[in-house]
Amino acid sequence: MASLVTTLSGYLGYRGREGQWSFLLHRISGLGTGLFLTIHILDTSFVYFAPSLYMEAIKLYQSTLAGVGEVVLVFCVFYHGINGLRVAYFDLFAPKNWTIPSERKTFWWTLGLSLAMWLPAAAIMLFNLLKNNYGLFGG
Amino acid sequence: MAANKVREAKTPNNYEKFAWKWMRYSALLLIPLVWGHVILQDVVVGVHNMNLGYVAERWASLFWRGFDALLLAFAFAHGINGVRQVLNDFIHSDQGRRILFIALFIFWLAVSLIGLIALLAGVGQQFPLK
Repeated sequence: MASLVTTLSGYLGYRGREGQWSFLLHRISGLGTGLFLTIHILDTSFVYFAPSLYMEAIKLYQSTLAGVGEVVLVFCVFYHGINGLRVAYFDLFAPKNWTIPSERKTFWWTLGLSLAMWLPAAAIMLFNLLKNNYGLFGG
Repeated sequence: MAANKVREAKTPNNYEKFAWKWMRYSALLLIPLVWGHVILQDVVVGVHNMNLGYVAERWASLFWRGFDALLLAFAFAHGINGVRQVLNDFIHSDQGRRILFIALFIFWLAVSLIGLIALLAGVGQQFPLK
């Protein structure tokens, strides 16, 4: 219990600015993606173990709530990927970049690139959602 | 501001070093695999066009079955080790970490096996698919 409080207050109280935000976003997006991945492996395996349940799962995924979650998930996947690439590149090939100024600059680049990839994808997914669930755009 | 000095240190070749490398090298492979999968399935095809027939058609291709097998192998192991790293921040005792390691290993093995069986066996429905 003590270690839980110490770790959580450290996560939230440490004012490391961009470096700390990138650490927190990486963890949250990774845990969110991992949670979905676990569910997704199991629901996909229904195609063999219980085909009718697979169609139930797909119906759930087609709901509006799941559709909004899907848009968030895609941001998590893009952000975690770009930030992971940044971490892997620094760690494996260019450790001299692990400095505070470079951390600050590359955090904003990472966020900007993620948004640039996410916005068009989110627009298409929301378009499909409104079309299929609300009959907009001639759906 | 003075530039940070990067210190080089020798680290032992143990499991933690292997896991550290695994996270980074699997990440390089996961970029095309996961982004390709997400862009194709969520954005281009879309969840409203999915059903058993779609999966059967997709898995009729050996390429896509291999693609999904790589996703299952690399993405899930990457994710489980990530969960282990996060929980190691909260669990500090050697015994607690050992229990966590074993529990996550069993969980990883069970879910991976379920996924692998479905991937090898394919869609369990009589043709023609509805």
